[in-house]
Amino acid sequence: MSEETANCTICRQPLGANGRCQHCDEDRHIWTIEDWRPLLTLALIIVLGFSFTRLVVGVFNDKQSALAKDFDAAGNRAMDERRYAQAVEAFESALVYSHDNFQYRMKLTDALAASGARSEALAQLHDFREQHPEDAQVNLKLARLEAKQKHVDEALHYYSDAIDGVWPDHSDPVPQKIGARLEAAEYLIALGRKDEAEGVLQAVAAVLPYASLQEPRLAALFLSNGDAERALGIYQAQLNLNKTDGAARLGAARASFAAGNYATARRYLEELKPETEESAALRVELERMEALDPFAKSAKGRVRTARTMAAFHIAMARLAGCGVPFAQAMTGTGKAAAAGDPAQWSGFARWAEQLSPLMSENKLRGKDDVIESTMRFAFQAEMAAQKDCGKPTLDDEALLLLARERLGAGQ
Amino acid sequence: MKPHSERSRDLLLKLMATPVRRKYFETLRRMLGPSGLISIREEQFFLVLAIAIGILAGFAVVLFRVAIASARIWLLGSSLHPGWPRVVLVPAVTGLAIAVIAVRYFPRVRGSGVNQTKGALYIYDGYIGTGTTVGKFVLSALAIGSGQSLGPEDPALQIGAGLASAVGRWLKLSKERLRLMAPVGAAAGVAAAFNAPITAVLFVIEEVIGRWTAGVLGAVVLSAISSVVVERWFLGDEPLFRVPVYRLDHAGELLAYAVLGVVGGTASVVFVKIIKSLRPWLRRQPQWSQYLQPAVAGGLIGFIAIWYPQVMGAGYEWMNLAMHNRFPWELLGILAGLKLVSTVLSFATGTPGGLFAPVLFMGAMLGGFVATVEQQLFPAIAVPVGAYALVGMGALFAGILRAPMSSVFMILEVSGNYSIILPVIICNSISYLISRGFQEVPLFDLLSRQDGLDLPSLEEEGEESILRVEDAMHPTMGRALLGDEVIASARGIAASTQEANFLVSLGEGRWSVLSREALLDPAHDDAEPVRALIRGRVPRLYQDQSLDVALRFMKDRPMLPVVHRGNLDLLMGVVSVEDILRAYRRAGLAEPETAEVS
Repeated sequence: MSEETANCTICRQPLGANGRCQHCDEDRHIWTIEDWRPLLTLALIIVLGFSFTRLVVGVFNDKQSALAKDFDAAGNRAMDERRYAQAVEAFESALVYSHDNFQYRMKLTDALAASGARSEALAQLHDFREQHPEDAQVNLKLARLEAKQKHVDEALHYYSDAIDGVWPDHSDPVPQKIGARLEAAEYLIALGRKDEAEGVLQAVAAVLPYASLQEPRLAALFLSNGDAERALGIYQAQLNLNKTDGAARLGAARASFAAGNYATARRYLEELKPETEESAALRVELERMEALDPFAKSAKGRVRTARTMAAFHIAMARLAGCGVPFAQAMTGTGKAAAAGDPAQWSGFARWAEQLSPLMSENKLRGKDDVIESTMRFAFQAEMAAQKDCGKPTLDDEALLLLARERLGAGQ
Repeated sequence: MKPHSERSRDLLLKLMATPVRRKYFETLRRMLGPSGLISIREEQFFLVLAIAIGILAGFAVVLFRVAIASARIWLLGSSLHPGWPRVVLVPAVTGLAIAVIAVRYFPRVRGSGVNQTKGALYIYDGYIGTGTTVGKFVLSALAIGSGQSLGPEDPALQIGAGLASAVGRWLKLSKERLRLMAPVGAAAGVAAAFNAPITAVLFVIEEVIGRWTAGVLGAVVLSAISSVVVERWFLGDEPLFRVPVYRLDHAGELLAYAVLGVVGGTASVVFVKIIKSLRPWLRRQPQWSQYLQPAVAGGLIGFIAIWYPQVMGAGYEWMNLAMHNRFPWELLGILAGLKLVSTVLSFATGTPGGLFAPVLFMGAMLGGFVATVEQQLFPAIAVPVGAYALVGMGALFAGILRAPMSSVFMILEVSGNYSIILPVIICNSISYLISRGFQEVPLFDLLSRQDGLDLPSLEEEGEESILRVEDAMHPTMGRALLGDEVIASARGIAASTQEANFLVSLGEGRWSVLSREALLDPAHDDAEPVRALIRGRVPRLYQDQSLDVALRFMKDRPMLPVVHRGNLDLLMGVVSVEDILRAYRRAGLAEPETAEVS
């Protein structure tokens, strides 16, 4: 036996005759495991405890998930049925059973916003954003809510962050980023910031994949931003791919109409089969406009003079509807009842007085300069009335469209 | 048949006979003890056991939380807003059932469990009955799940301690170790319930052990960590609260937080005063009323919950909502007040369940209330409601439970937000000081005393004056003898004084005491060094050590040297038993009101 084994391995004291350490035993500072069974049992208990706990927690988690899904479904139903308070309650309950679920949280913020608790929804979204500043969904929702709150700078800031943000892993980020850009452009158009909107739309057009599902929306936004040419180009590209695409054809008709290209617009409308409610409305509008346009190629002789006289009378009626008292306005002695600049109304009155004696078929026939002057009067009167007077009639609208075509949108 | 141990040894020797394996088995044999069985120090075994206790307590707490949530769904339904008949009837009927079972079968499960665990440590040698542990688990789960205004943390503490006690008894640990099993299990229970190991360790030291003792600290930390690992394994590692990001923009904002500290401290005093009066009064009522008290409390809470369901149960989901500015200021104030009433009702009637969660609830609502009021009064100041709710939790925790350090770390751990530490410290300190100013005895000590137990308190212990060596020592008359000087010189010094004993410096911080008789012993020649007379060394003392430590070293020694910590050979003075007794008499500690032996 070596020297080492003659000493206690713990306290280095010499071992007794029986091979036990007397020092350790006496002082009881050595724990001698004489029976392994308790320790083995303890280990077994830990293993069994782990298995049992895992089983119980698994069953419990399943139950929680099921409850969360039930409440989520109830919340969705409530949202569909516009019962927003119940939706809030349901999504809150869903979150009790699945408190990490991001989608439930997003739905809760939607429900809160819809129920009128916009500030609560905003507070929640701001919390999320502080935790996940790069999350595109959160930024997009924030942008929408801030836009509703009329916080323009914040809304545009969050739109920008949403466009640059990170989208969920399982989804394709490209269409979502494009969607966010289009939404931002829509918001800019609504704000009247057309140049910025045009920039955003052109940026989207540059990156939009070929034959993207977002093309119709892009074209519609170009159209509503006044860029009918680009809109028409997109619709035509769509029609090249699919000639039976009714929506694209209607869009092309609208774009052509907005661009003043009535013949093309009519052609698209005629090719559209079957006719829809929208296309019918556009056709009526087109016909009304054509019926008032003396400069149309088809308008010759009697038709031309008739259209000029009709336009004059529509404009006079519009001015009279504005409360312009022609006799007093011409002398400059009376008070103009219409809003806006009184001198402007006096000018129109004098102009009308000069043109009025010429409004007969005989006096207009062959007098292109008079026809042109009459139509200029009609266009300018309609545009002035649009600013300061009430809602225009359908004929007034037709004249306004003609005016935009002939005089340009800026006038 | 040979005994198990001999068979093991025979098997080992047979295996060792193979030459190739001899080396490995020699190593193994060295690891084995002299009798062929593993022998390790009990302290080491205790640390290993602490990990096992932590794991088991973790399982228990996970199951406890599942039981509470299941009981809630089973009793009150899955919706956040159950119908009113259920809200009123369920807590009342369940309260009655709980009272009957508790009074008849598990009398020790009533209340929170913190002071019971402390009692087990100091009075019952670490004994917590298995029945008590099981009863606590079942009845607390039913009580909290049925909507009583109580929380799961304190019961988890007692369940952990009970489990540890059962394991310790089963393994036949020594009495000293068995006693320490209770705090080890308690820390594991709280840590898993709160998902906060540091808070658990601090809370157990502040409230259960009641003393800063390093003896059990390692085991407490190990058990707390292992239980949290288990808890996170099963339930995830999300912090208890989702706290909005907080940033202190200007130091002036701290003044606004101070207001919350004042409000929190005041609310704490009100809460403790009501418990202090109501609990003994309810206990004095006839025995039959004990069965009805939790039922009546449950019914009243249910009645409140018809309009304010937030007061039921632990209420963590509502605390989260308060932190996210989801409640108007009026509702926050009402909820803080109603939760106080509900918790007093549940707790004072002896319904099993804890105070942690309700205290945090009150704090969150009060914090949110103060924040929203300040927002309206001072719109220029940045008042984040979430941060105030969080700080309010700490303020109430510090004020009611009087565990100041736990209160700070708890807020940091449950929120995972360390930027809020400054407001938390300021607010908690103010609340704690107000609470101490108006309520001398901390809540858990108060409860123990109402139960007829006088247990040590860290707070009271901290206020006791500690006598140190410097209070008792006296300077030496002359210089100390040196070990290397000749006896003749030393005898010359002895002749010039009347001292009976002399200190001898042996160099390198070693000291000895030499009696006059030994020094003058004619058997030794004058030319010999003093060292030749030395028969043993004496321990040295330092001025800052307590007299308790000095007494332990004194034994039958006539005196001990007091030396400088920076120079162990520099004698600052000497101290004797008489000096120590004189110091105690001077301090008036000879007959304390409560004598304790550490």
